[in-house]
Parts: sequence; C-alpha cells; structure tokens
Amino acid sequence: MIHTGEKKDKIDAIIRACGVMLRMNKVRPDARESENIYYQMLSNYFTRLQDAKDEGRFVAAHTVFFPTEILYAMDIVPMHTETTTWMISLFTGECADLLSAGTDLGLASEICTPHRGLAGAFASGALPRPNVMLWSNLICDNTAKSGELLMEINRCPGFFIDHPFQHSEDEMKYLVGELNSMIGFLEEQSGHKMNWDRLAEIVARMDRQIELFREICELRKAVPSPFHTQGFLELLTIDYLFPGQPEATDYLETLRQELADMVKNGEGAVSDERFRLMSFFIPPMHLIGFLERISQEYGAVSVTEPFFTYWGEGRLDPNRPLESVAEKSYMIPETRMYGPLDDRALKSIVDCAEQYRVDGAIYYADVGCRHTCATIKLFKDILNEIDVPVLTLDCDVVDPTITSEEEVREKLERFFELLEDR
Amino acid sequence: MFDRFIEVNSTFPKTAHVLEHKRQGGLVFGWLCTYVPEEIMHAAGALPVRITGHNQETELEDGSAYLYVNNCSFSRSCLQMGLRGGYDFLDGVVGSSTCDGARRLFDLWRNYIETPFHHVLTIPRKSTPEAHALYYQQVVQFKERLEEFLGIQITDEKLHQSIDVYNESRTLLKNLYELRKLDNPPISGAETMEVLNASFRMPKELFNEYLKDLLRDLPSSGHTHNGLARLMVTGSVLTNPEFIKSIENQGALVVADDLCTSTRYWSDPVELNEDTTPLQAISRRYLDNFPCARMFPSDKRFNRILSLVQDFKVDGVISQIIRYCVAYAHDLPLLTERLRANGIPMLALDVEYGTSGSGQIQTRVQAFLEMLGARKR
Repeated sequence: MIHTGEKKDKIDAIIRACGVMLRMNKVRPDARESENIYYQMLSNYFTRLQDAKDEGRFVAAHTVFFPTEILYAMDIVPMHTETTTWMISLFTGECADLLSAGTDLGLASEICTPHRGLAGAFASGALPRPNVMLWSNLICDNTAKSGELLMEINRCPGFFIDHPFQHSEDEMKYLVGELNSMIGFLEEQSGHKMNWDRLAEIVARMDRQIELFREICELRKAVPSPFHTQGFLELLTIDYLFPGQPEATDYLETLRQELADMVKNGEGAVSDERFRLMSFFIPPMHLIGFLERISQEYGAVSVTEPFFTYWGEGRLDPNRPLESVAEKSYMIPETRMYGPLDDRALKSIVDCAEQYRVDGAIYYADVGCRHTCATIKLFKDILNEIDVPVLTLDCDVVDPTITSEEEVREKLERFFELLEDR
Repeated sequence: MFDRFIEVNSTFPKTAHVLEHKRQGGLVFGWLCTYVPEEIMHAAGALPVRITGHNQETELEDGSAYLYVNNCSFSRSCLQMGLRGGYDFLDGVVGSSTCDGARRLFDLWRNYIETPFHHVLTIPRKSTPEAHALYYQQVVQFKERLEEFLGIQITDEKLHQSIDVYNESRTLLKNLYELRKLDNPPISGAETMEVLNASFRMPKELFNEYLKDLLRDLPSSGHTHNGLARLMVTGSVLTNPEFIKSIENQGALVVADDLCTSTRYWSDPVELNEDTTPLQAISRRYLDNFPCARMFPSDKRFNRILSLVQDFKVDGVISQIIRYCVAYAHDLPLLTERLRANGIPMLALDVEYGTSGSGQIQTRVQAFLEMLGARKR
C-alpha cells in the first residue's frame, strides 16, 4: 500500500525555474552577481540529480541538517529531500497534491507539512527513487521518524544517524562513531570507498565558508544593513546543498564583496531603513515575494536570524575531518534549537538583538513545527526584557492555505506602526 | 480491592504519601519520561514521582500560552499543573531528550517553575553497544549531579537495594498482567490503570505491599471480566482510566497495552550479574526496555507488540495517539501494515491527553467492536 509507482519525477520544474531566474537576471539592472551564481548552482545541483539515474550514479536521499560533506567525499549524488520537495511544490504549485499523497499514506495532519509532503512526494513519484535513504534526528521528531517510512516507500535500504542531544566529549565520540558506521554502510551499498583526502579538502573549504558566513553576518550589522530581508534563505540553501563545495566559496566570497561595497557606499538593502528586524524561523514560502515588497515599502529589513545565520563558535580541522564534520553539526545555527535551551542558548538571542541593534522581531510560527513554537513565549519574554517587541505570525512554511497575504500584511502593518510609535 | 489505589490517584498530585514524605523531611523528585532511571533517585533517598498532567480533559490556557497549541496536550497539561503550583513540593525535576514535547516541557519548566534541581539526560535512539556506553555515561553524570546537589554518596549498596525494590514491583506487575491473560480475567483494563497510576505517586515499597495484597485477594474474589472482544491499547501516554472504562463499557475487555504508563513502564527487570555494577545494570535496562516509538528501529517495538497480541489473545488493537505526538503518528502507517499482515484489525484514534473517550470516540469504538464481532461469527 505504500510503494511508489515508476513515474517521471518533477525535478525538471526546479531546473526550468532556475533557468527563468537566470534569464530574468540578465535584464535586471540591480541583479547581484552572487544571485546568478546561486541560481546556476541550484540548476547544476538538480540537473546532476536528474541525470544521475541515466548515468548510473548512486543517489542518497537525506533529510535536513545532514552531513552532506561525506556524500560529496564519496562521490555520491545527494538529494536534500525537504529542499527538493518544497522547491518542486513552489514551482509546480502542487503543494496540495503532495500533502494529500502524504495523508493517503496514513500520516496524520499534525505531522508537519514539510515531512508529510515529503513522504507524499516520494509516494507520488514527484521525487526520484534514491538508492539509499539517510536521515538523522536533527532537528526534531519529524526528521527522526520520517526515514523508516521513506525506506518502505522507496523499497531501499537506509541509515539513521542518532545525533546526541547535548555536546559533551562522550556525545562527540558517539556521533563520530555514528558517522563512521554510516560510511561503512554507504561503502557497502554504493561500492564507493570513502576518499579521506577529499573529505579533508571539503572540510577545509567548509571551514573557510563558515568564516565567510560570519563575515557576511558582520557586514549586516551596518546601518543601513546591506542584505535583503529574505536573503538569509539563500545562505541556508547554500549550506543545505553545497557544504564544502568550491562553488559555495565562490558564491559566499562574491556576496561578501557585494555587501562590503554596499556598506562602504552607505547603501542599504532597503532605500530608507526604518526598522531593523530579527527573524525567527522560516517565513511561508508562497509569501517570499510579498515579504520582500513590504520590506521595501516600510523600510523594514531582517538583519539577523539567530537560528539561521548566527554560527556557533569554533573552527574545523581538516586533519581531523570526521570529527570536524561532527563538530560542525553543533555549530550550525539551527542546531542550537536542538539541545537544551539553557542560559547560553538564550543569551545568544539577546546578544544578537543587541549587536545588530534590532527594533523588533518577527516570529514565523509554523503551525506544524512543535519544537520551535514551544519557544515563542520564552523568546518573547527574554526579548521584552531588553525592550524588543515580538510579532508572532502564525503560518505554514509550505501550505499556502494557512495564511493569506492580506492577513500577514495587516499584522505587519500594525507591527510597523507600533515600532514607529516607539 | 482497588480503593487504596484509587484513593492515591484521587488526591494526585499532592497525594497523602507525598505530603507525608515531605512532612518527614524527605525529598521528592519528579521525572518526566520512562527513560529517566528512577532507581538513582530512590537510592539517593528521594521519593521519585512521575510528572503527569490532569487526569481529565481540561482547558489548558497556561499550558498552551507557554508551550503553544501545537505541542501535545500531555506536555501542556504537565506544564500547566506545574505553573499553577501543583508540583510545588518538588525538590527536583529530571527530564530527557525523549521527544520534542518532553524536551521543550523540560526547557520551559526550568525557565518558569522554581524547582531547585534540574537535570536532563541525553537518551540515544539506538541500543547499540556505543549507545549503551553513551547512556551509561549519562546515568553516571546524573548520579554525580544528584550526589553533588544532595551532598551525599549514592553507594552500590543503596543502588542494589533500590534495584530490589523496583524489580519486585516489576515482578508483581508482571504477575498482575499474567492474570489478564486468562479467558475471564479478575481485573479490567481500567482497574489495571488505577493500579499503575498509583505506582507513580507513592513510595514503591508501600505500593509493592498494596500490590501483594491485591494479588493475594484477586484470584479468590470472584471478580471476573469478559467481553465481546479482547483488545490491546497502544500509542501515546495515557493515564485516564475513564478512557479504558469507556471502551470496556461498550462490551470489550482491554487485556493488554503498549503504553509508557503501563507495560512499557514495568516490563523488563534490571538484570544484575557478577560482571556488572548496579549502575551498568540500571543503564542497560532503561535503554533496552520495551521501546517507545522514539527508538530506532521501530520493528523492535512492533515485534514486541505482536508478541503481546499473541500472548494476550488480542482480537483487535486500539491506537490512541495524542494530537502532535509525532513519534507515534509516524509509526502508525507502519504498525497498521504489520498488524494487518498478522490479521489483526486496528482502530486509530486521534485524542487529547486526559480524554475520557466520550462522544465520537465511543461511536468509533462501537463500530470497531461490531466489526470484530462480525469477524468472529
């Protein structure tokens, strides 16, 4: 009952959309060079995935916050399942179909739409069938529990990385052991040997990329802030899909230079910066364009996203590549939401608010995301202590039926009025 | 026979036993999940009590305001009870990384409720040798933190004593469940739940005495139950006996379960041998115990469910999953498939924690029982 049929997947929709963006950028005078690199990277990623079957390449489907560095080092084609599914949804408008296919599998409506739709995407054939399924418990129960059903749908073997909750020496050792076991599994399944030299090179580049992420964040502290409101989604995607890849360094260096030039020239992402915002979590995908427009209209720009762009401390060591991959999983901004929300984790929010001089914060409360929404009051309370008001926007990251543009506009306008009055 | 257990539950959370323990200067520690080893707290001289929420459907204004409505109603109910002072007698709260609901409940408890001691354990999702090594370290750290907080030594001797007490409890509960295998068991599912609830809310030594009395009296009591169908209840945390009673009032008999408040709580003993320290034995037991849906691979849990189905001669399974209890919700399609392959029908219910099983649930259970009846004919 839960096996997918052999249908043509819908990867092509993403490739075509990237092509359109690249063509449009050619005639847009304000198009960033980094944007062109970004869309070309996406196009290449999905073209490689689309061609993988015909070329007889080994494809590993994996969930979010996965150590893709290992797959690149083993010459395995990665498929980031959440990103791929929701780009397909965005560009085909088939969100309802994917969610409905997930529900048909018996998945309850309380299972978040990204994961319900992801299962639906495999079951309906919108995603290509992988050779193996890989997943971990980063960052929630949905990721932890999604893999076994996906293995059954795809009739493929799989490996689950058990990521420890806290960050002690014992836990690091356990995680490195998990990664080693997964490498053994992948070697057996794919016939590809781990190339440790290549992994070391990837780790070295990743270390450089983390530095670039940090430098980009530093530039965003400028008044006016140079990076556009939804720009952080690009940064997220870069690390999701291309960790340690040369083209990611190229993208980040180009972006950093662009932002540095803007800061030098006193240019901001919005023409008249009035409100500096902190953003929590992912806005609804179908409203990205609208959010950019309203950002310009009101001079409101997201300058920091503590759980998306504020990387943890530390460096990666190419001489200890696997340990570095494990260590990186604790440095990723989002994974700060995974461990205990202790004083240190909460302090980073206050630090962000102060360092970036934010006027207010927007909390995108995804109705299906339990572990984030459980922090709304906590974050609100600590930000209110330093006089930063927080707007909570109920939404769903992928399902457009939950929140309308009008509703969001009304709430944002009221929030901007409040900020103005202060 | 069940009055003593019912009395404990009727005064929960501030049971007479808890209050008496406090009056005598004893410490009470609350634990949030069955992956927290109770024996450690017991060996430290504290009374471990399980933190649960309201036993009935309740408006969860505070719980929802702090944890948001998309967290499971169990977490919200527990937090609300804590926020409103229901657990103000606690000297410590011990949580674990079991699931999103549990970890966020712990986070908010630590931030908003003034319990003097907080500790959270990393619980691996696998039970490989490496996972056991990690969990053992977690148990050691927990013991050390408790020792530091209380200024005491938790000796091996104390741990042995605690293991004996808890193992005795597990054996007695196993004996109670053996009675449920009978064609006409002397105890209903709802009554069993009253017994189990009391076990979380009073000193284990006393509970064991109560249970021994019950086991002595039950067989000769003339008390018997039978039903149109023998059912098993599976899924999320459940503490309201009214829910089970509502199923049994329709003519069924609940004879088995896969719940963290029942079989998964008591099923496996701590096994001591010459080569293991008590701490190693405790840690092995807790990670290897009848698994929660959080554990990988899920088939380990499914296989134990299938064994219970066979041992307790179960005709059908009722899955009750609290809304937003994602671990069980993800397992549902797979478990349905495994049960179907073994010819066991399942009724899947979406519930809220504390539900008494009225209204629509009753209608669905009735239809399920009719279907099971038709199969038997």
